[in-house]
Amino acid sequence: MPDLKMDMTVNGRRVTKPAGPHMRLLDYLRDELGLTGSKEGCGAGECGSCSVFVDGKLMKSCLMPVAKADGAVIETIESLAQNGNLNPLQRAFYKTGASQCGYCIPGMVMAASAALRENPLADAEEIKERLGGNICRCTGYSKIFEAVEIARDVINGTLPATALDAPGAGQSYIGNNVRRLDAPGKVTGALRYAGDMVMPGMLHMQVLRSPHPHALIKSIDTSAAEAMPGVACVITAADVPGVDGFGVFVHDQPVMAKDRVRYVGEAVAAVAAEDLLTARAARDAIKIVYEPLPAVFDPEAAMGDGAPVLHDYAPDNIVKHIPIRKGDVEKGFAEADLIVEQTYSTQPVEHAYLEPEAGLAYVDHDGVVTVVSPSQNITHHRHMLAKIIDKPIHKVRFIMSPVGGGFGGKEDMIFQGMLALAAMKTGRPVRLVFSREESIVSTAKRHPARITCKMGLKNDGRITAVDFRMISDGGAYGMSTEGVMRKAAILSCGPYAVENVKIDTYGIYTNNTPSGAFRTFGAMQAQFATESHLDICAEKLGLDSFEIRRINMMRDGATTHTRQKLGSVSLGRVMEAAEQASGWQAGPPVSRGLARNDLGGPGNRRPCTLGARLRPGSEQLREEVA
Amino acid sequence: MLTCETYLTPATLGQALAQWAAAPPGSRLIAGATDTLPWARQGRAGDVYVPALVDVSKVAELQDYEISGGRVRLGANLVMQRFLSDETLRAHLPCMPHCAIWFADDQIREQATLIGNIVNASPAADGTPPVLAMNGTIELARLVGGAVTRRSLAVSDFVTGPGTTLLADDEIVTAVECDCLAGYGGAFEKVGQRRSLVISTVCTACLVKPSADRTSFEDVRLAIGGTGPVPLRLNHIEEFLKNRPVTRDILRQASQMTDGLINSRTRRAYRGDVLSGFIERALEDALADCGVHIPSDSVREAANA
Repeated sequence: MPDLKMDMTVNGRRVTKPAGPHMRLLDYLRDELGLTGSKEGCGAGECGSCSVFVDGKLMKSCLMPVAKADGAVIETIESLAQNGNLNPLQRAFYKTGASQCGYCIPGMVMAASAALRENPLADAEEIKERLGGNICRCTGYSKIFEAVEIARDVINGTLPATALDAPGAGQSYIGNNVRRLDAPGKVTGALRYAGDMVMPGMLHMQVLRSPHPHALIKSIDTSAAEAMPGVACVITAADVPGVDGFGVFVHDQPVMAKDRVRYVGEAVAAVAAEDLLTARAARDAIKIVYEPLPAVFDPEAAMGDGAPVLHDYAPDNIVKHIPIRKGDVEKGFAEADLIVEQTYSTQPVEHAYLEPEAGLAYVDHDGVVTVVSPSQNITHHRHMLAKIIDKPIHKVRFIMSPVGGGFGGKEDMIFQGMLALAAMKTGRPVRLVFSREESIVSTAKRHPARITCKMGLKNDGRITAVDFRMISDGGAYGMSTEGVMRKAAILSCGPYAVENVKIDTYGIYTNNTPSGAFRTFGAMQAQFATESHLDICAEKLGLDSFEIRRINMMRDGATTHTRQKLGSVSLGRVMEAAEQASGWQAGPPVSRGLARNDLGGPGNRRPCTLGARLRPGSEQLREEVA
Repeated sequence: MLTCETYLTPATLGQALAQWAAAPPGSRLIAGATDTLPWARQGRAGDVYVPALVDVSKVAELQDYEISGGRVRLGANLVMQRFLSDETLRAHLPCMPHCAIWFADDQIREQATLIGNIVNASPAADGTPPVLAMNGTIELARLVGGAVTRRSLAVSDFVTGPGTTLLADDEIVTAVECDCLAGYGGAFEKVGQRRSLVISTVCTACLVKPSADRTSFEDVRLAIGGTGPVPLRLNHIEEFLKNRPVTRDILRQASQMTDGLINSRTRRAYRGDVLSGFIERALEDALADCGVHIPSDSVREAANA
């Protein structure tokens, strides 16, 4: 594959460096020109983290073969802040706190630039539309839209330039807006995430993953891969010098599958090579013979007799069972006027941070094995890796790179071990950057749960007993399941004072993608069941939804089901605020007022549509500006 | 990941046809290429090696558009965003701005072509229903004895099934021709999982020409996508509406004429409900687009209650 001759203008400079014919414009900008402000979030045109101007039009550089950009004038995020001075849009993003993890922000700033270049008077709806091709996982977009509107007005002169200044911090951080110190690096694209980092002599890693949910590994033949020119090493579980196993609670997961695979997407072998293409070719040349085993995909089936066993230490497939007992539920049910039993289920959820997993490892001049990655738990990872690679703790170092979104999904050490092994084996820096698909296939998800809630109530709405049973699919490895089950159990019955409770949460091994930490850490699934259940009970008792909660809510000085003494409880005030803000109409859930107060008001979202710029008036406005 | 041995950027149609005819098997012809790179990823085609990519986006004869004899000739390289940004196209193809605004997003529309959308022949293609409604014909070219030879087909015949068309191996699509429908009101309805960057579950293109006194339909064009293997023109509803008065009752009657139109693999009942709603709303929106008074949304909702 001969290189392509290129001749383009990038950020005002002529560039003639040749490009590989496989390259996308994004690869060329990042890998050949070192312009890593443009990020890769999906590689499929869905997220906009890679947006750049091509001959004045904003485009997604991951969708553009580099040859298309030959002869073009390219502007990237790096061109916006001249001599390090943020432009008005970047200052507005800084002011409103529009950057959180920051990974989407270069693309977002570019999309906002395009919106205001195309229509300097774009209204809020049109701004939303023009940013429609860019995804942000952290902010909920409000701060971003707010920033674009401020910048628009400053640029048009309807707001003074001082509108971009920070508000006075006051005497205290509490109660005052405080600027994010890291925002300038994010709005300019200067901040380097792990996948943006390079080192001299760096190798590129690719990972071979299991196509089977459950199978024995009969043989691994790496000879063809190792013989390929440009391949520096191939690693498998056999390269682990120490005690192989990691996890947040139980160390049940090997760095790479050992003897058998337990889910589709599990790492089995990895290659480090001089370039990505060689690494991919070598990965595909590794031959593995599998012997498929019966697999189990439903946690209740996995609890049954004769189900396939995933881990020898857990013959019942139970990762963790957390029981809580308080009072006497049978007595509580006997006292009840109404008993309601329902089963609720939730689905797995992907964290979908914009930054796919990435890491860089090297062995430094003192022989310290160093791993740079967006890990949410570097100290724990360091201790685990020391045992895995059989080194004293002072010879293992973890550096936390900027986390381009985590949400719990980067708590597990699922790739750092492979990087460390390859760096040790080759003596060279090794980098691995996950594709979006790889990230979705191989990383932990929110636990899917099946929850049966049985609740006894008096006719006046008081809860007399709760029997709460939650069965969660932990997937193939333990990860954070134990903690998630614990928190789900503690918070299962919500902030309600109940004398008699019986709670059981189970995390179960299956051959599904492992479940792990995710915002709320198990509370969300439990609350979904309990709060849905309360509404159903309110309907049966003819009570208002807020009323049934007020009757049962914990108050100042309450003791929780796990005997934690609460000083103050703000639930009453929270509900009052929610009731007012929502335009609530009192009555049981089945009742409906004459008019809907929850639609069409100033605080409500309008129905989803497009075409703000086509509606009468917008054209006229644009002409007035021109 | 897509890897290719040779990346060709012909400057003329003759060059493009010669290079395409000579390209080794497995080569691909691209214009905007916005579907090509996502196609070569895990879960779809995976890593793909292509001997040659023939990129026609710089071919002079395929640029831009021409208007003559009541038809608009849209070159194969015309990108979707032009239907929003070009005043002449907006005036002559009143349905297309509404279609374009729902097509992918502003950035992809700068790169993606209408004709690429038609040629990919997705059952949910947003670009095809409006072209059907505008009596679109597609022009294909090939080299015969060194000379460029062209043929034209109705787009309704050209798209034969999901991902399949009558395009021959050595042919390149050069243009699509559509009726100039200046003075018509246009509308496009679409529903998917979100606003931008989403595949249609159902879409509906509509064009309406009111009578001189603006009380009845003189001409109506309706076409739908996402409802079966290929997009469809709804001739029977068009005929029903012609010369009938613009009344809510007539719109409602038209919206119920959907028997047999849903031939999708999944969610048939849902799509059927959506389609009826879309026909009514598309007619309303198209009437509003050409200034024919129709009841406001709240009046419509009250009437439907």
